[in-house]
Amino acid sequence: MHQPHDKLEDKELLKKFYKDHDNEWLGILFPRYTLLLLGVCMKYLNNEEDAKDAVQQVFLKAINELHKYQVEFFKSWIYMITKNYCLMKLRESGKKFVELSKDLPEGLNDPDDNNSLTGKETTLFELEHALSMLGKDQQHCISLFYLEKRSYQEITTITGFTMMQVKSNIQNGKRNLKLALQRVLQKD
Amino acid sequence: MENSKLVSILASSNKDIDNQKLMAYLSDNISKDDMHEIEKMMADSELVNDAVEGLQRFKQEDPVSSTAQLNADLKKQLLKKRLKKNKRQFKDKTWIYVAIILILLIVFATYMVMKMHLSTT
Repeated sequence: MHQPHDKLEDKELLKKFYKDHDNEWLGILFPRYTLLLLGVCMKYLNNEEDAKDAVQQVFLKAINELHKYQVEFFKSWIYMITKNYCLMKLRESGKKFVELSKDLPEGLNDPDDNNSLTGKETTLFELEHALSMLGKDQQHCISLFYLEKRSYQEITTITGFTMMQVKSNIQNGKRNLKLALQRVLQKD
Repeated sequence: MENSKLVSILASSNKDIDNQKLMAYLSDNISKDDMHEIEKMMADSELVNDAVEGLQRFKQEDPVSSTAQLNADLKKQLLKKRLKKNKRQFKDKTWIYVAIILILLIVFATYMVMKMHLSTT
């Protein structure tokens, strides 16, 4: 019945779901994220069976919550639900999960905001300037990754950093770059 | 520095991740461009990064077949909820159906009584 709707975006599927509260829309939406959520649960719980159970529980929770609350950005929302569920499970079992990256949780805001800086004409000059202001390690990793299109693995070999350090330098470097640019553009 | 490459640092990928490409990445059987695409998504999205790190830890089971199983279970679960909802909706309307049947019975009985009364007079 909903076969032609498979290509609808998450937002549109949610809109349709909120219109008639038919769970069949969720049957199209949720499977898009099953593999990713299984991976997230596995990262936190580090047990294959527990990870599978967690995904099932997250789905049940999500079905109930979606009937009660209006959700706009499904991807960020389901990630937050999954992460919180796993952290709760870890707390219950007395285990601790130490997060190595201190990045903020993935946008609860509109993900399109990330692209807003690219549209500004002043950005290119400022970007080059902001890039040169980054710490040496972040600048090196960002250049290798984005400008030379090197893989994470290649960057670890070139720089001698661990995989975790490479990822952290790229993620934090990109975030610092955006912050620096926002400051510059606000001044202008 | 090449301008487009420089600007690409700020651009976030809004594309949804392709599960097949993701699995190809995990099994290290992927082209350089696709690998870079996946890693860019990892750099942009904490969800994708966490997912890849978690999927790399699977040793006993194949994440793809586990995913298929989870999707089949989800389908069953949603169907069960749907049937329950339909049943509840029918239950909620039971009194309406009973009232309609009663009214029809009264109308029919009145008609029969009037018919009998008319035929005797």
